[in-house]
Amino acid sequence: MARPHEELGICYVVVDGIEGTLARVELPDGTTEDWRLAGLPRGVKEGDVVRIDVQGGDVEMEIDHEQTDRRHALGQRQLDALNAGGPDGEIDL
Amino acid sequence: MRRLLVLAALLGGSVVAQPALPGVLTIRFLDVGQGDAVLITAPEGQSLLYDGGRSEKRMTELLRQFGVKSLALVAASHGDADHITGLIPAVQLFKPKLFLNNGLAATTQTFGKLTASVQAAGTQGLLASDRVINLGSVKITVLPPPPGMPRGDQNANSVGLLVQYGSFRALMTGDSETVETAGWLKKYPANVLGPVDVYKSIHHGAKNGDNAAWLRAVRPSNVVIGVGPNNYGHPTSEALALYKSAGAAIYRTDLNGTVTVTVQPGGNYTLSAAKGTGTTPQTRPASPAPAAPRTIPALPSVVYPNCAAVRAAGKAPLLAGQPGYSRKLDRDGDGRACE
Repeated sequence: MARPHEELGICYVVVDGIEGTLARVELPDGTTEDWRLAGLPRGVKEGDVVRIDVQGGDVEMEIDHEQTDRRHALGQRQLDALNAGGPDGEIDL
Repeated sequence: MRRLLVLAALLGGSVVAQPALPGVLTIRFLDVGQGDAVLITAPEGQSLLYDGGRSEKRMTELLRQFGVKSLALVAASHGDADHITGLIPAVQLFKPKLFLNNGLAATTQTFGKLTASVQAAGTQGLLASDRVINLGSVKITVLPPPPGMPRGDQNANSVGLLVQYGSFRALMTGDSETVETAGWLKKYPANVLGPVDVYKSIHHGAKNGDNAAWLRAVRPSNVVIGVGPNNYGHPTSEALALYKSAGAAIYRTDLNGTVTVTVQPGGNYTLSAAKGTGTTPQTRPASPAPAAPRTIPALPSVVYPNCAAVRAAGKAPLLAGQPGYSRKLDRDGDGRACE
């Protein structure tokens, strides 16, 4: 039986940094919270996008490698474009 | 006396706007909470913002408070949110000429918002490389990540800045880790790295930042720790012990508020703090100031992306403490989310 509103329980968070046993994650609204690293998928690394599916009281989490790679590639293209054509040598401001 | 070192404590915790004095270099280690942000203003008025802390709102307040009228350059030591978030309003407000960075993209929305803001502002990106940037009469030497750093590690690819004005020297190196400081020790002669008059603690006083070999080269007279309430144990007792053993005076933005260094032509300088009495190795309190700990979920057991999801799960309203409650769902902050 199909569960209604299934897609409403899915969200993505990004691991912004790992500080010891904690992970600083960026929530969908752009704010950050500290979560226990042990509560995240095994092997999660800084920069990983984690897909979280909440249905009722059940939670499924997995590293979304495709989304991680996509976001990283997009961000790198944007940064490379910004850095292209930068001045050489000493700079006077 | 070659150096004039004064700690001026302003009582009451309020900070008076202090536009840069003409003819002096002003370095402000801004109180942005847990994170780093350093505002450098040359004697001629040009300003540089090295990191921006974790809050757009806080950085906007600080830029207004300190009467910043323009920014020539913003620099991201690396791409972590507690260093770059505040750069977003800085770029939007002042459209700086240059955005110095380590060339490594982060995957966060925050990073995307920053690069989009840089693009919209017409700001030129500047990949960190061995070069000098003259901020008026202040010499800023860029310390790019040394060769061989792990590509996926933002901290280990932090960009450093060495600030020189007369005989005065200040050094800041982001959230570098031992692998990076070891690389810099190999790359630069010892007299390039130290001694320095003022030094920004690496990674808010984390365990894996400053280390004995590095500090032996840096030889800081004063260490400023950019730190606020946090769950990480920053600054660690290990880092504080290192600074003590280096004989450095210690300042913390959580205890002292914004720490301001004023450098006269020639290099004499003054340190002042917005609040508190400052800390020194001899008089500093033994333990960190009590911080209001944030609630850490035992695990992200239930995370609702929005109130529609809460209602779909039949959980509305969510009360503070219940699984899935978060402040972002509780717009009026009364402890009842998705009412």
